[in-house]
Amino acid sequence: MALCVALVSVDTTTVDLVRRALDGSREAFGALVETHWDRLVRLARSVVGDAEAEDVVQDSLVVAWTRLARLSDPHKFGSWVSRIVFRRCLRTNRWQRGRVSLDAIVEPSRFCDPEVSVSAWQILARLAPRQRAVFHLTAVEGMTDAEIAPVLGITPASVRAHRRQARAGVARIIRGGTS
Amino acid sequence: MRAPDSDHLMRSFEDRLRGWIQRPPRIPADIAKSRVLARLPEVSRPVPWMRLIAAAALVSVLVVAVWLGSPRPAGEGSGDTTVAFAPSLDSNVVMWVVDSRTTVYFVLSRDGSEKRGVS
Repeated sequence: MALCVALVSVDTTTVDLVRRALDGSREAFGALVETHWDRLVRLARSVVGDAEAEDVVQDSLVVAWTRLARLSDPHKFGSWVSRIVFRRCLRTNRWQRGRVSLDAIVEPSRFCDPEVSVSAWQILARLAPRQRAVFHLTAVEGMTDAEIAPVLGITPASVRAHRRQARAGVARIIRGGTS
Repeated sequence: MRAPDSDHLMRSFEDRLRGWIQRPPRIPADIAKSRVLARLPEVSRPVPWMRLIAAAALVSVLVVAVWLGSPRPAGEGSGDTTVAFAPSLDSNVVMWVVDSRTTVYFVLSRDGSEKRGVS
């Protein structure tokens, strides 16, 4: 019960901040940035990697400010701004496509060796960007298909398909080194 | 026996993924906030279309009302205006409107008097 009250109060705060930001309050928008920063950086990390994530999120938040009037429902600010970040990640990903694949080159078998520190990103980067995002939002953020769908701009059925492909891809990459 | 190994590897990957992704950002939230705020452009929020149309209609009505209610400068109206404001004349008076500023009255003698003059 206490948790429900806490969640409702956070949501109310966000909605209030969004309304004030819509009226032009930079202070309110700053509070929104502070509230959502960590979560958005995590999402960006899963799609573009560590090096670019924070720059991408900062750029996305500036874009979000300029488009705030297009947000129809203040309750949906979280998924709306996540979608802006995700699209920005896709664009960044296109620019750095070659670089990601080079960074991701690692012998998959070394992932199984506990003494060798192979970044999870080096496995994740071998997946398609949408598969990375679905994997992250499911495994790390614990979101449902219905919650993930508006963030990525796809249907819940597509979310399920991307998750299947992502799991199969990760398993293939990991097994590839063990067999 | 491969399936449990795959499950184990997948769980291991997910654990490592969580550990990697959930590290705190290099830039703390309060510093990110000030950086983002410093980059925010001035945004003029678009006026909703219905309000814009209503405002334009109101301005149009006011402009028309003021134009209709304002006094006309002399000479702007039609020639009928002069006739409408002409004084009533006796039957022996002839009025000749030369232009908007000049009106000449001729008074005809009724009784054949010898008085003559120009008015």
